Amino acid sequence: MSQTITIDPVTRLEGHGKITIQLNGQGEVENAHFHVTQVRGFERFSEGRPFYEMPSLMARICGICPVSHLIASAKACEAIMSVRIPHTAAQLRRLLNLAQMVQSHALSFFYLASPDLLLGMESDPKLRNILGVAATKPELGRAGIALRRIGQSIIELLGDKRVHPGWVVPGGVTEPLSAGKRDKILAMLPEAYSSFGLALGAYKQIAATFQPEIEVFANFPSNYMSLISEEEAIDFTDGALRLIDSTGAIIEDGMTASRYTEVIGEAVEPYSYTKFAYYKPLGYPDGSYRVGPLARLNIVKSMGTPKAEKELAEFKQLAAGPVSSSFHYHHARLVEILYGIEKIEEILADSRILDKHVRATAGVNRLEGAGQAEAPRGVLHHHYKVDENGKITWANLVIATGQNNNAMNRGVLQAARSYIKDGKFSEGILNRVEAVVRTFDPCLSCSTHAFGQMPLEISLLSACGEVVDRVARD
Amino acid sequence: MAITARCLVLACGNTLRGDDGVGPKLAAWAEERFRQNPEVRVIARQQWTPDLAEDIAAADSVLFVDASAKSPPGRVHLIPVSSRADASAPVSHHLTPNQLLGLSRSLYGSIKSHAMLLAVNVVSTELGETFSAPVEAALPRARGILEKAVLRFLDR
Repeated sequence: MSQTITIDPVTRLEGHGKITIQLNGQGEVENAHFHVTQVRGFERFSEGRPFYEMPSLMARICGICPVSHLIASAKACEAIMSVRIPHTAAQLRRLLNLAQMVQSHALSFFYLASPDLLLGMESDPKLRNILGVAATKPELGRAGIALRRIGQSIIELLGDKRVHPGWVVPGGVTEPLSAGKRDKILAMLPEAYSSFGLALGAYKQIAATFQPEIEVFANFPSNYMSLISEEEAIDFTDGALRLIDSTGAIIEDGMTASRYTEVIGEAVEPYSYTKFAYYKPLGYPDGSYRVGPLARLNIVKSMGTPKAEKELAEFKQLAAGPVSSSFHYHHARLVEILYGIEKIEEILADSRILDKHVRATAGVNRLEGAGQAEAPRGVLHHHYKVDENGKITWANLVIATGQNNNAMNRGVLQAARSYIKDGKFSEGILNRVEAVVRTFDPCLSCSTHAFGQMPLEISLLSACGEVVDRVARD
Repeated sequence: MAITARCLVLACGNTLRGDDGVGPKLAAWAEERFRQNPEVRVIARQQWTPDLAEDIAAADSVLFVDASAKSPPGRVHLIPVSSRADASAPVSHHLTPNQLLGLSRSLYGSIKSHAMLLAVNVVSTELGETFSAPVEAALPRARGILEKAVLRFLDR
C-alpha cells in the first residue's frame, strides 16, 4: 500500500507552505510536491487605481522585500511615463535595494538557515531555532542581529520607515540624501564588515561537512536568469536580463523588461497557487530556470567590488561550470552581503550622491509599461497596462519564488527519493526535505501576493491517496 | 548599537486588525506621556522579531504591551515575564516576551531589573480600525497601569 507524508507547515520560510511526499507500495518515493496554498490578489485589486499609486500599493505585498517591489513597480510606471530618471535618483534606489538585500540575506542566513547549519539537520528540533543558535553561538547571533539592524537602519534613514518606505516614486525618489544621513550610514559599515566576517568564517568551517546534503539538495542541471550590467557585473537595480543554460552558454541576453514579457510564460499546476515561470522558446517545464543568489553568481563575470570579487572567484571554484546544488545558495547569499556592504560604501563615496535633482516628472505617454529589479530571492518583474487617464486596467507580477518553483519541486523530490527508503523516515530526514526549500529562501507571500498569515505542512500519502502520516505546525 | 534607555515600552499589534491594535494605541499614548523623559523609549511593532533582543539589552527594564485572546474581554493584566525558555518552539519572525528576554540574555548577557507584560483581553481581531466596546472601555485603566508601571521601573 502506498503512503503520503505531509509536512505542514514547512517552517523557517517567508510565509507558509506544505510538502507532500507520495510513496508507492514498495515504500519508495513516487512523487513529491511543494504547495503554496494561498490565493493571490494584488494584481486584481490594483485594477482601477492611478498608476502612480502602484509602487506604494505593490510594496505592501511583502514586509521583507518591499524595496524591490517599489523599484520594479516605479520602473514600470516610468516606462508608462517615458522618462529617464536622474543619475542620483538611480544611485539612491540602488543604495536602498542593497540595504534591503543585506538585511534580507542576513535574516535568511542567521534566523532561518543557521539552525540547520550550525546545530545540525538531526539536532533536537526543540532547540533547532534562533534561540538554540543564540545559546551555542552567541557571537553569530549578535552578528546576524547587527547586519539586520544596519540594513534596516539604512532603509529607515533613506526612506523614513524600516518597512514599506514611500520614498521611491515614479520618476525617482521624493527627497535627496543629506550629508548627515550619508555620514551616519558610512559610520555603520565597519560593524557590518566585522559581522559579515564572522558569518563567512563560520560557514566556510562547516560547509564541507554538508557534502551529502550538497549532493541531493536540488542538485541538477538547470537554466539560470539574472540581471547583469553592461560590464557583465552583478547589478541589483538596473542592467538587462541574461538567461544561461546548465553549461553556462547564453540563451538570451540583453533582455529588457518589455522583451521579458514576450519570452517568459507562466504555467499553473493544480497543487499550488504560485505559478511556474518558464522561458517560452523551450516550453514548460524544459524552459524552467533558477533565479536568486545562485543564479546571479553563476551568471556574472564580476562582482565589481574588490572583496566580493575574491569571494566570487572562490565560489566559482565549486564547479567547472555553473554551480548546480541549491545548497550553495547559502554561500552565494553571503558573497552578496559582502558585495552589498562594499557597494554601499562605494556609492556614498561619490559626491554626486548628494545632488538635489532626484525626480523626473511626466504624465501618461504610453499605455503599457514593464519594470524589473533584483529582489533578494531573484529577479522581480512588474508589468502594467493603463487607460488614457492613467488608471490601471491590467497588472501582472512575476516573482522570484514563482521562477524557482519548478526547481524547488524537483529539489524536494530529489531529496525525498534520496533519504526515504522502504517507507522509513525520521524527523531529521523530513527536516532535510524542508531545508531544500529553505536554501531558495522563498517568499510565499510575494509569490501569491496573498494577504495575512500562511501555514505550510509535509504529508505522506498512500498509493490510493490516503494520508498515512503528516507533520504539521501552527 | 541600539539606543539605551532605562525603561523600554515594547508594544505589539496591528492597527488594521481591530482590537489587535490596542498595543500600538497604548504605545502612542506612552510616547506622548513620556515625550520629555529621555529615560523612556517606546517601540511599537506588528511582530516582536528577534532583532528586538538588542533593544531590550540596551534597557534596564522592559514593559511588553500586547493584546490577549483570554477572557473576559476588556480585562487588563500586568504579569511578570521571565527569561526562561518558552515551551513552544519559536518561529523565525516573531517571539514571545519570555523568548525575547531569553534571547537577549543569551546574546548580550542582559538581565532586567523589571520585565512585565501588560495585556488587554480582546474581542475581535478581524479587519477594522476601531476597538470593540470592552477594549475601548478598558483603555483608561490600561493607560493608568502602564503609567504606574513605567514610573515604578524608573524608580527602581
